[in-house]
Amino acid sequence: MTATLPPSETGPQPSPSGLPLDMRVSPGAWLRKNLFNTWYNSLITVVAAVVGAILVYYGGRFVFVTGQWEAVRKNLTLLMTGVYPRNEQWRLVAQMYLVSSALGLAWGTVTARGQDRAEETGVAAQRPTPLDLLRRYWPILLLLVVILVFTRTVWPTLFTLSTIALGLGVRSAAMRLPRSARRPCWYAAAFMAIVSFQVVSGANGSAWWWTAALAAFIALQTTTNLETAAPWQRNMFRFTAIAAAVVVVRLAYWLIGDTSSVSWDEWSGLYLTLVASGAAIVLSFPLALLLAVGRRSSLPAIRWLCVGYIEIFRGIPFIALLFVAKIFIDFFLNVDTPLSLTTRTIIVFTIFSSAYLAEVVRGGLQAVPKGQIEAGQAIGLQPPGVMRLIVMPQALRAVIPAMVGQFISLYKDSTLFAFISVVEFYRARELIHSQQEFTTTAIAETLVFAAFVYWAISYTMSKESQRLERHLGVGER
Amino acid sequence: MQKPFHSLLALFGLVLAFSLIAASCGNDDDGGATPEATAASTAAPGAAEPTETVSVVPAQDGGTLQAVKDRGYVRCGSRDEVPGFALLNEDGEYEGFDIDMCRVVAAAIFGDADAVEIVAVTSAERFTALASGQFEVMNRNTTWTATRDGTEGANFLFTTYYDGQGVMVPASTGFTTIEDLEDANICVSTGTTTELNLTAVFAARGINFNPVTFEGFDTLVPAYEEGQCEAMTADSSVLGVYKFEIEQGGGDDQHIMTELISKEPLGTVVRDGDTEWAQVVNWATMATVQAWEFGLDSSNIGSYSGTDPNILNFLGRDGFDPGLGLPTDFAVHVVEQVGNYEEIFNRYPQLGVLNGSVNDLWSDGGLMYVPPYR
Repeated sequence: MTATLPPSETGPQPSPSGLPLDMRVSPGAWLRKNLFNTWYNSLITVVAAVVGAILVYYGGRFVFVTGQWEAVRKNLTLLMTGVYPRNEQWRLVAQMYLVSSALGLAWGTVTARGQDRAEETGVAAQRPTPLDLLRRYWPILLLLVVILVFTRTVWPTLFTLSTIALGLGVRSAAMRLPRSARRPCWYAAAFMAIVSFQVVSGANGSAWWWTAALAAFIALQTTTNLETAAPWQRNMFRFTAIAAAVVVVRLAYWLIGDTSSVSWDEWSGLYLTLVASGAAIVLSFPLALLLAVGRRSSLPAIRWLCVGYIEIFRGIPFIALLFVAKIFIDFFLNVDTPLSLTTRTIIVFTIFSSAYLAEVVRGGLQAVPKGQIEAGQAIGLQPPGVMRLIVMPQALRAVIPAMVGQFISLYKDSTLFAFISVVEFYRARELIHSQQEFTTTAIAETLVFAAFVYWAISYTMSKESQRLERHLGVGER
Repeated sequence: MQKPFHSLLALFGLVLAFSLIAASCGNDDDGGATPEATAASTAAPGAAEPTETVSVVPAQDGGTLQAVKDRGYVRCGSRDEVPGFALLNEDGEYEGFDIDMCRVVAAAIFGDADAVEIVAVTSAERFTALASGQFEVMNRNTTWTATRDGTEGANFLFTTYYDGQGVMVPASTGFTTIEDLEDANICVSTGTTTELNLTAVFAARGINFNPVTFEGFDTLVPAYEEGQCEAMTADSSVLGVYKFEIEQGGGDDQHIMTELISKEPLGTVVRDGDTEWAQVVNWATMATVQAWEFGLDSSNIGSYSGTDPNILNFLGRDGFDPGLGLPTDFAVHVVEQVGNYEEIFNRYPQLGVLNGSVNDLWSDGGLMYVPPYR
């Protein structure tokens, strides 16, 4: 998304250091001006420097010298994937490869489109340098390095590097594709990301049919604008494409011959934390849009429904909802294992966070002046068009900080899964201290490690949201 | 910025639609159960009728065993954080005495000790989870009490471990009886029956003491080691774990008083209302003790060549079938795959010494006594 907006719209570009260029002065003068300009500021500077040095010294000594990191090292797999069967872990690696390819594909498509648009508008596209990327993603890269430092074999490092290399390779390949391939690329990326979960849970039994349905749907979508001599040819072609998609998927499943399976309930550790909060973010966003729009609807039935949903689920503690999901649902449903616990948790998580998110989005909707809506109507747009093209983009842009704040808090709310004995990341950390050798030792070490993992991911989300705000010019126009 | 926004919305929609599909059908396949098997279980004779089971609290007699067989594995409620009893270890596997007792049931029914799914539950939710049908068996060091039997919808079966609340002191204090603890600070975890027992017993004996309460053992034990209290109290199985831990960690030698201040029989629990299932679980569990009494263990049970008719009955060699609904040779599977009671117990040193303890065989002065298998 780097170059999608012409820089002229965002005003003067700040220099990389964040200071306007004419403010650059020699280091000595800068120090005098900013840190030692009065006697009390000098005093504050000295005290802060001493306290900072002490903190850095003790913190550094703890991390590098006295810390007993054996607890983390021995239990790294438990922290990362929890109870996921050890002999099925290749599935997770395969998923990482698929997801990485999907991300590379999406990223490459977006970059290519940005370049095209920049060419059309006659503005040179900005290409991020490796340094830019490092500055942008350093928390997550640091997290990867820290995790890899704790591994005991070379394989995780190789997997990580090859995953990154694959993503970058697919990205540069996707950028070279012709324009007409962009829509199929989006679909392919979504397909790979979704099918990767099929890989993780095992592809036996009737599992193939929904992958086939997905492939058929994509075949249907990508052939919508097909131009042929006669309509019947187009229909014929589309039908063939759908049939081919189904047959190819069925054949692929038959060829792979994956007979084992891993229950979704075996997802745990950091993997579950990321999947559950990622799924809740992705699923609650569209739901929240619908709820927010519905709450402002002029149709009473829809409005009351949305108000009821939002107020009920905002009014119930998340833990109570989790208990309902884990236990009480079974009193009403008499199906043998109706849904896996993981699915239930994700559903409850989505329901809960969409209620909060809907109110955030509603705040954004209210911030859009009525004149905008009237202007939309004046140019002949239908109400859905006004909402989709005029109101929603402005509303969402206004509430990015609040939405990302909600996402970050949602991500950390996943620790509450521990109350229903779901082994998410923090629970896995607690379980380390049930082991004989770590019952009372290394508690600070595992806490620091867990805190770092949560921080690195939350901070990346926060940085990305700030970047998005800058690109959309929030607060500037 | 409108174009990417549209694509994002489209992507969100797509992901939403297919995640819902995935959620509804992606997890039918755990443990090898096919949709056909699930369908069969609801249609099977004796299985609960859908119309009658708005509340599933009373299990239909005879329904559970058939449902478990149809599903292909048994679900067992347990926990994941107590070394020796039930722990999720660093390999992501459950291990411990209670877990082995779950595996015993699976071995008896299916001849495969791995045909079990462990469902970890917290103390607060265990009985509700049992009543709602989250699992069919529970081994979660749960004390058998009248109230739990009466009002929690739980049916307590064979007691697999006789525990009791004990007191641990540093050996250097020289305290040996509870009376020595006059005016002592005693570390106890808050909100448990342990705390209530402590207050009740000390009040009854007229001993003054000063309870120092903690939320959990992760804070209690370091405080105890630091000397904030002269004694700590917990179930003696738990004390054994921390005695081991403190001494291994280079701490002071510890002494666990022989006097117990409560009775804590821990055993297997099933849901009220299905006697057939209760019998199956009970006899599967008791088979481990019976094998021990017969001198059969995992190494010699398969190759038994004696002529003792009781043992031949027990092994199902002569086709003897007591009509429990189990395979006639279930005891062989149980002991070969999991072990007899002594083997299971001794696998976990945290449980303490078996020989001479209250958990020893009745013929050696303990409480492990099972009805004859004939």
